[in-house]
Amino acid sequence: MRISYLWLKELTGLEWSAEEMAERLTLCGIANEEVTSTAKYLDKVVVGEVLEVHPVEGASRIRRTIVDVGREKLQVICGAPNVAVGQKVPVAQVGAKVAGEVEIKAAKIRGVDSAGMICAEDELGISSDHAGIMVLDPSAPVGAALKDHLEYDDYILGFELTPNRGDAWSAIGIARDLAALGGVTVKRPEIKLRESLEKTSIVIKVTSDDLIGCPRYAGRVIRNIKVGPSPWWIKKKLLTAGIRPISNVVDITNLVMLECGNPLHAFDLEQFGSNEVVVRRAIQGEKFTTLDGLERTLTSQVLMITNGKHGVAVAGIMGGLHSEVTEKTTTLLLEAAYFSPIVIRRGRKELGMVTESSARFERGVDPNNIQYAIDRAAALFQDICGGEVLGGTVDCYPQKIESKQIALRPDRCRAIMGTDLPAARMKAILEGLEFQVTGEATLAVTVPTFRSDISTEIDLIEEVARIHGWGNIADAVENVGPLYSPANAEDIYENELRRILNGIGFDEVLGHGLADGRLAEMMNPGLPQVKISNPVSDDLSIMRNSLLPSALGIASHNVSHRITDLRLFELGRAYFPPCSGRDWTEEERLSLLVTGNSPANWRDKARPVDFYDLKAAVETLALHYHLPTFEYVPTSVAYLEREISFTIHADGQPLGIVGKLTDQLAKKFDIRQDVYAAELYLPVMMRLSRALGKFSPLPIYPAAPRDLAIVIDQSIKVGEMLDRIKNVAGPLAESITVFDVYAGKQIEQGKKSIGVAIVYRSPERSLSSDEIDAAQQAIMKTLRDEFRADIREK
Amino acid sequence: MSILDEVSHIEQDAIKRISEADSLDLLRELQVQFLGRKGSLTAVLKSLGGLSPNERKAVGARANQVRELIEQKIEEATSRLSSAKSSSSFDPTLPGTGQYLGVTHIVTQTMNDICGIFERMGFQIARGPHVETEHYNFEALNFAPDHPARDEHDTFFVEGGRLLRTHTTPVQAREMEKRKNDLPIKLIMPGRTFRHEDISTRAHVSFHQVDGFLVDEGITIADLKGCLNAFTHAYFGEGLKLRFRPSYFPFTEPSAEVDVACYLCRGKGCQLCKQSGWLEILGCGMIHPNVLEMAGIDSEKYTGYAFGVGVERPAMLKHGINDIRLFFNNNLRFLRQFN
Repeated sequence: MRISYLWLKELTGLEWSAEEMAERLTLCGIANEEVTSTAKYLDKVVVGEVLEVHPVEGASRIRRTIVDVGREKLQVICGAPNVAVGQKVPVAQVGAKVAGEVEIKAAKIRGVDSAGMICAEDELGISSDHAGIMVLDPSAPVGAALKDHLEYDDYILGFELTPNRGDAWSAIGIARDLAALGGVTVKRPEIKLRESLEKTSIVIKVTSDDLIGCPRYAGRVIRNIKVGPSPWWIKKKLLTAGIRPISNVVDITNLVMLECGNPLHAFDLEQFGSNEVVVRRAIQGEKFTTLDGLERTLTSQVLMITNGKHGVAVAGIMGGLHSEVTEKTTTLLLEAAYFSPIVIRRGRKELGMVTESSARFERGVDPNNIQYAIDRAAALFQDICGGEVLGGTVDCYPQKIESKQIALRPDRCRAIMGTDLPAARMKAILEGLEFQVTGEATLAVTVPTFRSDISTEIDLIEEVARIHGWGNIADAVENVGPLYSPANAEDIYENELRRILNGIGFDEVLGHGLADGRLAEMMNPGLPQVKISNPVSDDLSIMRNSLLPSALGIASHNVSHRITDLRLFELGRAYFPPCSGRDWTEEERLSLLVTGNSPANWRDKARPVDFYDLKAAVETLALHYHLPTFEYVPTSVAYLEREISFTIHADGQPLGIVGKLTDQLAKKFDIRQDVYAAELYLPVMMRLSRALGKFSPLPIYPAAPRDLAIVIDQSIKVGEMLDRIKNVAGPLAESITVFDVYAGKQIEQGKKSIGVAIVYRSPERSLSSDEIDAAQQAIMKTLRDEFRADIREK
Repeated sequence: MSILDEVSHIEQDAIKRISEADSLDLLRELQVQFLGRKGSLTAVLKSLGGLSPNERKAVGARANQVRELIEQKIEEATSRLSSAKSSSSFDPTLPGTGQYLGVTHIVTQTMNDICGIFERMGFQIARGPHVETEHYNFEALNFAPDHPARDEHDTFFVEGGRLLRTHTTPVQAREMEKRKNDLPIKLIMPGRTFRHEDISTRAHVSFHQVDGFLVDEGITIADLKGCLNAFTHAYFGEGLKLRFRPSYFPFTEPSAEVDVACYLCRGKGCQLCKQSGWLEILGCGMIHPNVLEMAGIDSEKYTGYAFGVGVERPAMLKHGINDIRLFFNNNLRFLRQFN
């Protein structure tokens, strides 16, 4: 909300500068976001009189004018259609800076000298109006500084109000907080009404058929109105608040709303169509044209003002086109009402619109300020529009909304704030905010009805704290709460995983968790999905049920930016809706992805990464966490190549999936290189992880290394062969490692040569060569018999 | 010239010539010239025979001192000249051939930094579901169904009656309920949150938050301020001013926003703080009695404070990042800047 600084000064009598006022308000909860001088663009702008207007040859849209600015007469080119001889206009002289930070310079336009600019309101920062040049009052003194002539040397204060502070959406509302801060009282404008003998109640009747939606509806009638422009003092207050002046009638309703927070509405009584106002809910499907000219279809959520037959306004949101005040209007029906915040909120959501009026009703206006608001407006109609105010107000208010009574215990207030604030200070603060306070030990507080946000003791404590100022509460210097909090095991585990994976050259990435439902279905057909009912786009339609689409998306982004060698991991969640007896679940997972080339340097050349690079990372984790032996069980998954697609089992439990992504899928992500990926289930991994084991004594007897070169069929799995070797060699084999795999020249087609190193050692004695030879013979026999191996011993 | 003078003369001459020597060959020559079998210092030592025992002792000691000094100077000069004109083909300037060190995502790093500070103050980490119930995300946090504050939480709804949590505060409601008989509770709750927004440089559908709270007997605003002061100084730097602006959150009362004096201009006003001198970093307040009561905690006996800090925003401020989308694009050229 924006409001004039001078207005606040006028209401409070405080002599604070605009900056000081803004700062103090910020520190009491009315967050200031803007302090702008209204005269920012008025420097070197003076009142001029248009003496001559001539066409410019060859340019139909601009004209050459001669303008008297007092000291001299200037030739100025003007593009506005409304410029005319005799007008008083604002002239920005050479050197002036107008809105948009444009400096006015002497220029030649179409060969004609121009020494200034005749300005529109937007160029002066007065409003956003650019329809034509601003035409000043004929009495404006030629040559006067515009700022002085308009008395427009004010500041616009802009505030970001929190949703609870409906009471602060007005000049008086903000002035109340200022008054409490400055120890003064708000000076409300005096109202001097001269009511005519004709009674309002004879002319109009008001009924609320929906006391929940409309607990109070008041009306007045004003006759003999002369519609015209508002005086400048009203326009100024509207302009600083960012509201466009329209006509005196509309401007007065807006002014009163800005002043005291109660939105008003003026109907043309002659166009109203009856002499009764009935408030009711709209009928489902009812059509109604609002004053912005749009025909709207209403639902029963929307509250309507009707003339007993048909709608004349959408209550609290927008008036109707038909009964709108026009230049011809002479009789006004003035509405001041209290509508339910919830009903207005639902209604404006239904209609998809927010107005100055709905914003205020939604946050709660003061139901008991309605008489003041309607009288204030009526008095202005009387004084400014020459209106004749009929006697009395018609007021449908069957159940008065009473002030709340709340007890405030000063001890409790101190216990929350952590200060020794005396009760007398609390009382003073609350009274400064126009609460009534009695009592000593416990304060009995009467809450004014403009503070609908306050209903319990803690709300009062908040008021005390914010006016006292948080800055005036001393910071505690000691830590409080438990002496020790145990660490979170998952968190430690995950951070350790990150360090290991970073250490072996994997970069951490983060997917945001939303994914494309169709893609997910393609990758994991039938796998349940958490579907978003109101997605922002089709590709963010579900919560992912696997981390791999995220990993692929990220890989794709990098590959498209020519970062093609990737080793990525993510720790994140996969989400599942309730199904087959399981509740909503979020599984912590680890995804790994490798693609492109291996890290290279001037000595070690790059090579394309493959399955074994990924397996190495998994094995590193297995090593660190002492995971049980992994089994790679072939598995059929839609997104992995059939040949390279495995479920990792450990201790008989599935720990995750690993394999090579199908080219087809990679291509969908515009990746034209091999991609290997794994997705591991963290809870399983954590469960299987073991702490460091017992110490084993260091060997004291020598080791005996032996190598075997084993030629076998390509189809034989090395792992199976190694298992057999281990089995046959028994405990004497300390380690069995593969040091070479070769297929090609010198090896029969369809075969491969595997180099296996076996280290024999006994913890009890030195092994004799006979023992080792026997072990080697047994292994070789088994390999020949079971794997049809051709073996060379080294 | 006495013998002692002669020794001093040799000393000065040797030091000067050694320091001026520009080749190893010349150094070798100088060594011979001074210390060699026919060298000048050797000659002095040889001539000691003709002296009285007292003189011999004095001159001998002096000559030996000078000899050691010359040897030391020659050694120093030799290593100076040999390192300057090394003829070795070994090149230590080639890059090392070690492995690339991966980077932890800047969001994780920031979250760990923030949590770490609170953990050292005795907070424990807790986590909760991202797909939340309306109850924990709103009702249990004192957001009435038609409350205007809900407008500030643009929400993704999920089929089956849940929603994506719009803040990490629901974890507070869950944990208070779970641990209501095991007070005090002092938790820090980092995690992912979601808002139904159009993705732009300033907004994303997903971002991170760290919420924290403490429930115990006798907790006050003063405690809250002390805790957040400690955090801010630990995270942004010592000596930066804080200001607490009263604000509004349904789940805390009284509530405040915390601004820290812009660490770049230290409050003078610059581009980073949009000339205000302040950076908005935290929301906080005393836990609303309704929220305590809904969790089954006696709000007369116990009070508590709660706070929430963004993750992306402080990271953007600290590292001058100007586009929130960079965090989820995961461009490695971006991520690797934080290694």
